[in-house]
Amino acid sequence: MSTVLIMRRIVSDQRVVLTTLTVGLFIYFGLKNSAFFSTDFVIYPLLRDGAVLTVIGLAQLCALSVGHLNLAVGRMAAVAALASGAAYQYWHLSLIPGLLIGLCVGGALGFVAGLIIVKSQVNAFIVTLAMDFALLGFVTFVYVTFTGATAAFITKPKGMEFWRNTSLHQYCIGGVCGPKVFPMMLVPAIVALILVGFLYAKTRLGRELLSTGSNLRAAKLSGIPVDYRVIMAHTFSGLLAALAGVMLAFTNGSFTASIGSQFMLPSFLGPVLGGTLLVGGSVQVLGTFIGTMLTLVIRQGLSVQGIGLETLNIALGLVLLTALSLGQIQKMFTTIRMRGQT
Amino acid sequence: MNFKLFFKHRATELSLTIIFVVGFALLVATSGGVLLTRQSLQGFLTYLAVPIVIGMAQMVVLAIGQMNLAVGAMGGVSAAIMAVLMADHHLPIWLALLIGFLSATAVGAINGALVVITQLNGFIITLGTMTILLGFQYRLVRTFTVDSYPKSLPDFGNKNILGFPLILVIAFVTSVLLSLFFSRTVTGRQVLATGGNHIAARLSGISNGRSVFIAHTLSGSLVGIAAIITISSLPGINRSIGGDWMLASFAAPIIGGVLMAGGTVAVFGTVVAAGVVRLVDIARAQYSLDPSIVSLTVGIVVLSTVALSEWRRRSSQRALEGKKDAK
Repeated sequence: MSTVLIMRRIVSDQRVVLTTLTVGLFIYFGLKNSAFFSTDFVIYPLLRDGAVLTVIGLAQLCALSVGHLNLAVGRMAAVAALASGAAYQYWHLSLIPGLLIGLCVGGALGFVAGLIIVKSQVNAFIVTLAMDFALLGFVTFVYVTFTGATAAFITKPKGMEFWRNTSLHQYCIGGVCGPKVFPMMLVPAIVALILVGFLYAKTRLGRELLSTGSNLRAAKLSGIPVDYRVIMAHTFSGLLAALAGVMLAFTNGSFTASIGSQFMLPSFLGPVLGGTLLVGGSVQVLGTFIGTMLTLVIRQGLSVQGIGLETLNIALGLVLLTALSLGQIQKMFTTIRMRGQT
Repeated sequence: MNFKLFFKHRATELSLTIIFVVGFALLVATSGGVLLTRQSLQGFLTYLAVPIVIGMAQMVVLAIGQMNLAVGAMGGVSAAIMAVLMADHHLPIWLALLIGFLSATAVGAINGALVVITQLNGFIITLGTMTILLGFQYRLVRTFTVDSYPKSLPDFGNKNILGFPLILVIAFVTSVLLSLFFSRTVTGRQVLATGGNHIAARLSGISNGRSVFIAHTLSGSLVGIAAIITISSLPGINRSIGGDWMLASFAAPIIGGVLMAGGTVAVFGTVVAAGVVRLVDIARAQYSLDPSIVSLTVGIVVLSTVALSEWRRRSSQRALEGKKDAK
């Protein structure tokens, strides 16, 4: 293969473009305001938030892989965090069992969503939207009933401080210590990235999920149990949403009803920027991480410049719309070129 | 007139009306008649206007099988524009209201144009515009409550016609006009045809893009009307206006019998369903329960309505197929 072709392939890879854009923007913001390069105040929190939002992006990606949407990601995360928080507060469980309870609850919610979608044949976004409304009421109701005015579970299990505040700096192998900017929170995110990546790239189940997403009829005709695959995709989505919810609760230091209320937009931004198709059939697992980091760099960069919340919102909305339109324009050009060739 | 057929087609509306009447009677009975006093009736009816209109704003988009997540943000921005124009720029009331209404319509048109150009689902497009609009709303009113507009506007909001609040009458008139649009005009029928089956619509010479654009623009106009009602019935406009519109906007049409798949509208059902949701709200206030109980109840009702209606549709389809086989 000629070098030109390789070069062209590298340049046309969305992930390379995105990474370049992310790093470029990062350096640009840093040059404009050197406070942006601060390890403790900018980069560490940036990566920590990135870890949580990547996991929620992956939760959305699982639903997108079968061509569905999960509008309840945020609220599933909230219910899972509620379950974990209650486990820590009332049953005094240690870190891992409490986390597992949260994950089970999230998975169960996803399973129920998938089941309703398959059984009723109603559009996924309507079912998950209605679920979101019901869970929203449920979460607030439970917090207010059980904890009164605080509306939060504040018991911190042993080891929570470690996960939320320390970095890989603590670990040394042969005198070489990990970088200080690497938050421990990134570890579960990377594990999730590897597992989801492995699922879609290497396993039969992953391929079946993708074929269900790209063409339901064809998948059915080739013997894939599409209903089970749809339910599974939503279960995975619920599981990952639960993980993100508990991670956010750890980062915040308390379990409150507001967990997950800001998840909806980022859950779409990451996968969509990363190149995951909304119509299903194609996922970009690593791209989700890069897309999430790009949005975070934009968000942090603007806020370090002293630009307020309102402009941030405007910018992020514009980024989403531009990314969506770009994909469409690209497709249009390809069609025109193909027409020209024939 | 075939009554059996009538009941079959109007089952949702009829049962909703019965639920509304029974629920209202129950609330009156348990409150010992407090609900029937002039003041609480007035409050009940006044705050019914906005849910009706935003329910219809969502309904017209559901009619083409899409959804508008930006209903709340559009209403918030539109109301904020009206308030700022009157308070800071001292525009006459009618002009400020007109500009606010037109800007909501324009945002709806932009939504529609983007959906048509990108060929993506309206959901994701309106998620984007919603985020942008929330930014604009915050930029317009900051953390303040804008209320220094002329006194004649709240007076307008408090006016009564034959005992009904004027703004509720506006909501009713809007719903009648909308109902006529969908049942009597060619454009309305075309929009419904697109929602019902877009391939069949295209084959019969309907421009689907035009239908989508019209539905989103109309949704914007209805949100503009909701914003006018809001600004004339509330004491001030701040950045939380519109924040709680989303559930209400979906609840009314879905409970009212609008199919999520598109192709149908149920104006009367939407109006009655908004009334039922309002009753839940009143009941909450009467028994001093936590506000979260309302969204829990409404969410569960919406979820079960969606599942139930689809199940009913499929079983009736099965029955039809059975009949065909028997022949």
